[in-house]
Formats: sequence, structure tokens, C-alpha cells
Amino acid sequence: MSENLAVTADISPEEIRRQRNAERILATSAPRSRRLLLIGVLLLLFAIPIQAFLGNNINYVLHLLLFTMMYVAMASSWNILGGYTGYISLGHNVFFAIGGYLSGMILLYFGVSAFFTAPLGGILAMLVGLFFGFITLRVRGPAFIISTIALLLVVRIFFDNWDFIGGSNGMTLPLLDLPVHLVKVPYYYGMLLIAMVAIYTSYRIKHSKFGLGLRAISQDEVKAESAGIPTAYYKILAYAISALFVGMCGSLWGQYLTYMRPNIFLIILIAANMVLMSILGGKGTVLGPIIGAIALITINEFFVSQLGSSELNIVGTGLIMVIVLLFFPEGIVGTLRRRGKLPRILDWE
Amino acid sequence: MTEILQILILGLTLGGVYALMASGLTLIFGVMRIVNLAHPIFIIAAAYISYVLFTRFNIDPLLTVPINMVVMFFFGILVYRLVFAREAENPRYSEMTVLLTFGVALILDGTLGYIFSNTQRITSPSYSTQAFFIGDLFIPKAQLYAGIFSMVLLIALWAFLKFTPMGYAIRATTQNRSAAQLLGVNVARISMLTFGIGIGLAGASGALMSFLFSFFPAKHWEWIALLMSLIVLGGMGKQLGAVVGALILSVAAAFVSNIFGPTWSPVTFFLALFIILLVRPQGLFGDKVEAT
Repeated sequence: MSENLAVTADISPEEIRRQRNAERILATSAPRSRRLLLIGVLLLLFAIPIQAFLGNNINYVLHLLLFTMMYVAMASSWNILGGYTGYISLGHNVFFAIGGYLSGMILLYFGVSAFFTAPLGGILAMLVGLFFGFITLRVRGPAFIISTIALLLVVRIFFDNWDFIGGSNGMTLPLLDLPVHLVKVPYYYGMLLIAMVAIYTSYRIKHSKFGLGLRAISQDEVKAESAGIPTAYYKILAYAISALFVGMCGSLWGQYLTYMRPNIFLIILIAANMVLMSILGGKGTVLGPIIGAIALITINEFFVSQLGSSELNIVGTGLIMVIVLLFFPEGIVGTLRRRGKLPRILDWE
Repeated sequence: MTEILQILILGLTLGGVYALMASGLTLIFGVMRIVNLAHPIFIIAAAYISYVLFTRFNIDPLLTVPINMVVMFFFGILVYRLVFAREAENPRYSEMTVLLTFGVALILDGTLGYIFSNTQRITSPSYSTQAFFIGDLFIPKAQLYAGIFSMVLLIALWAFLKFTPMGYAIRATTQNRSAAQLLGVNVARISMLTFGIGIGLAGASGALMSFLFSFFPAKHWEWIALLMSLIVLGGMGKQLGAVVGALILSVAAAFVSNIFGPTWSPVTFFLALFIILLVRPQGLFGDKVEAT
């Protein structure tokens, strides 16, 4: 490959050698420093609750971090479908609600904690994703996006009117039996675990044949199909995987809030956040949704503390979305990368 | 028999209003390939104009139709110039603008919510509680007036598209953007004006909505899927399709409401959307499946 390029571009052999050396350096040193960075961040995240074990009340920090990690997981998850495959879903919080309600109901009726049933919530979300993807992934572009909104509204109406799960009043879940400064710690580790697995999955997909197929689908589906990629199968699988982690996050989130109502899970702002985080950070990159989630939650938290209004929050979300789409459609990571300013340690593509 | 006739009348009068709402949406999609997710929030914004005019100055909501149309026309052009004009030649315009309109919808939603708060509003002119009786049939005056107004406006829109030079230009741009440009149509200008007209129509339907349905800013999400189901059924971008789709689904929803109760009537639209996508993605009047 590089030889071909060299011939056509007419570069001297010395230049080729230098480039190869550079590549080798890139290939060995980047992962090592990256691994160090990752291990460092993870150790830090694992260590933070020690403060709580020592008896300090750091619930606000824990809440903010676990909220961020939840959105990191959900945005990364959304990105598998919306970023890699190019199918934008505006109703992804349906899976959030499915996970939350399944685990919540099991907790209420059988007393099994969401920490054990979160995988079940994820799997049910995945099955619903499989079924729904089978129906709607036949259409592309705008029609698909509309169908995802319709899914959200249908599920909302059913949840609002299904008395078994509490209807629009919702249900109250029991609290964890822990002292107040420790009560958030299990959720913290749970979300951390889900976020780790979600990011790892996203990374592995991006660097696999499956991920290449998804990227081909997002570029040109007809050509991808004729190149032998089983597009229908790949799309549905991408949809299901991207539902899985959102469902697991929902499971934990429901028990964490200790109550479930359709208008907590099934508001479009949650879906909008997932979309916006991915676009803000860089759609279709591994790192983008992570950066996007951290950035957006920081901005949000700042706005809420300064202005304290949820309505202005919505305006802010919309404004950021429009500005990013118009001026930085590749997002933070994508724009930095194109300009060559992304630190190599953060270049996970 | 009377009952069926009754449901048909209620469904058809409401269907006229739905058709008016969807006509602007399908016009904008036809000319610019913009799937305007912000359409319902424009309608609700217009409903608030009517609401303010009615509560402050006691102007009948039906009379605010022209006012709303003019105001929303210019507002639409402003939004188009600010947000949508920039990328008009982007090959991925359609996909990109879905998210842009989504962002615009969020901005307007939040702004309206900030100004008016998210409580249910409705204007109540005298006729909103009255009805005509023909034998056993009753026809609510509000629905009848709204349906007649919508039909008049739709016929005016049809005549405008059919007989005026600008209407020709709009239809030409709908059929083939680059060919229209080659034949001397100023496509950029037509796009801008069409967006204005589409939002103007949203303004007109907002005035009708203000006394037919209770509204609050966050409600527009429910309307998105409803309006989309109408134009997907009719075939996206087809004017006639939007009207026929609106009438069919509105009657269907009226039957569902009668049989299963009013809670489930919105489900008609959403389930219809899935079924259409599954069975005939191009809709009743559509030519072929959209590639992008």
C-alpha cells in the first residue's frame, strides 16, 4: 500500500524509510502511553469512592460522575448506530425505559436488585431493538429518523396507560439499605463498569471487519451491499448492540432514582442529549461521545447552577446542536483530528 | 349508521386541519428535502400568537389566521436565512437538516416554555362550545369552521401552485432541482420563499389549533410523529398525498377513539407510520423509495 503511494507520488526511498520508521514509532509508542493514560484514569475513578468509605459525604461528586459515566455509556452506544452506521435514532431512550422498567418490576415483585438484573434489562432492550430494527431499518435517512420518534411516542402512550407498571404515576422502588454517604457508591461502580464495557465494545467494533462494514453502510449502502457486506444483518446487529448498553444504564438508573415514571425515561431530551453528545464530541469516533458527554454535562451543570432553569437548558441544548452542526459538523475530536491538533494519545481511531 | 356518519364527519373536519398542517411540511420537504421536525413547534408558536391576541385584545382566533400567516412567513424566512441557507448545496443536506430542525425545535420549545410556561392553554371563542344539529348528527362549530378554513386555504395553495409563475417555479424545483436551475429558476430564492410559505401555512394552522386542541410548548413532540405519519402515508413531498393521508388517518383515528377510547387515537397515527414503512415505504402517491 505505502509502496504504491510512494511510486505514484514519486517520493525518494529515503523518504519512504523515514515514513516507515515514523509509522513504527507511532504503532508502538502510542498504545503504551495510551494504556498508561487509561490505567491512570481508571485508577483515579476507582479510587474516588475511598473518600466515601472514609466517612466523608461526597455524594454530589459521585452523582455527577456516575451521571457522566451513564451518558458516556449511552452516547457511545448510540454512536454505534448513529455514528458508525449513519442511522440517526431520536428515540433511543425507549431502551433506557425498557431496561429501567424491567429491573424495577423485578425488584418490586421478586426483590432482586437491579445490579443483578441490569444485564437482563440490556438483553430485553436488545431484543426489542432487534425486532424494531427489523421493521424500520428497511428505510433510510429521514424516514428512519421519523420512525424512531414514532417508536418513542408509541412506547410512551403504552407505558402511560399500562396500569401493571404504574401508568403515568409510575412506581416507587425501595432504597438501598446503606448509610447515606455510601448509598451512591454501588451505582457509581455499576455505571463505571457499564461505561467501560460500552467504550471497549465501541472500540473493538470500530477496529473490526464488522465496524468497517458499518462505516461502508454509512458511506453508501448500495455500494456496500454490492461489495458483499450483509447490510441488513449488520444494521440490525448494530441497532441491537446500541440498545444493549442503553438498556443496562436504564436498569441502574431506575433503582438509583428509586422511582420510575414514563416522563422521566421517555422524554425526548434524553435522546437529544445522546445525539448531541455524539455530534459535539465527533460522530463516528470512539472518543467523541466520551468527550461530548463530559463537555455537555459540564456546560449543563454550569448553566443550571447559574440560571437554574430547565427551559433555558433546552434552549442551550438546541443552540449548541445548531452551532455545532453548522460550524463543526465533525465535532471536537473530528475537527481537531483534521487539523492535526489531536494529541496522539487521544487518537483512538 | 348514524354513529358511523357522525364519526366520519368529525374525522373529516379534523382531517382538513391536519391536512393544512401537513401541507406546509410536505411543501418544504418537496422543494428542499428538509424534513422539518420543527414544523409543529412553529404551529404551536403561532397558536400562542393567537392566544395572546385573543386574551389581550379579544380578537377572534379565526381572524388571526392572516396575521399569523404573515408573521410566521417572515419568521420562517428569517430562520431559513440563519440556519438552512448555508448548506443548501450539501449532498447530505437532508440528513443534516433533520438534526438542524431538531435543534431549532429544541430552541423554540425552550424559549416558548420560558415565556409561557408549560401549562395547557386553549383559546375559547364563543363557538368553541357550540354545535349544529342535523337530525341525530351533531357538528361542533369549532371543528366545522376550522375544517372549512383549512379547505379554503388548501384550495388557495393548490391554485397558487398551479396557476402562478412562482407556483410553476416551486413545482419545477420540487420535480428536479438542478433542471429547474438550468431553466432559469432562482432555486435559492425559491427555496427561501417556499420555506416562508410552509411556515406561513403552519402559522395559519396554529390559529386553528389554538381553539381546537389544548397546547403547551413540549406538546410538539407528539405532533411531529402525527404530521409525519400523514405525509409518509401520502408520499413525502406530494401535496395531494398529504391531504388524502390526513383525511384517511384522521377518520381512522376517529374510529379508534370511538372504539378503544380517546387515549389510543394518537396510536393510530404512529402504528400507521410503522405499517406504511413496512409495507409501502414510498407512501400512496410516492414514486420510489428515497435513496438518501
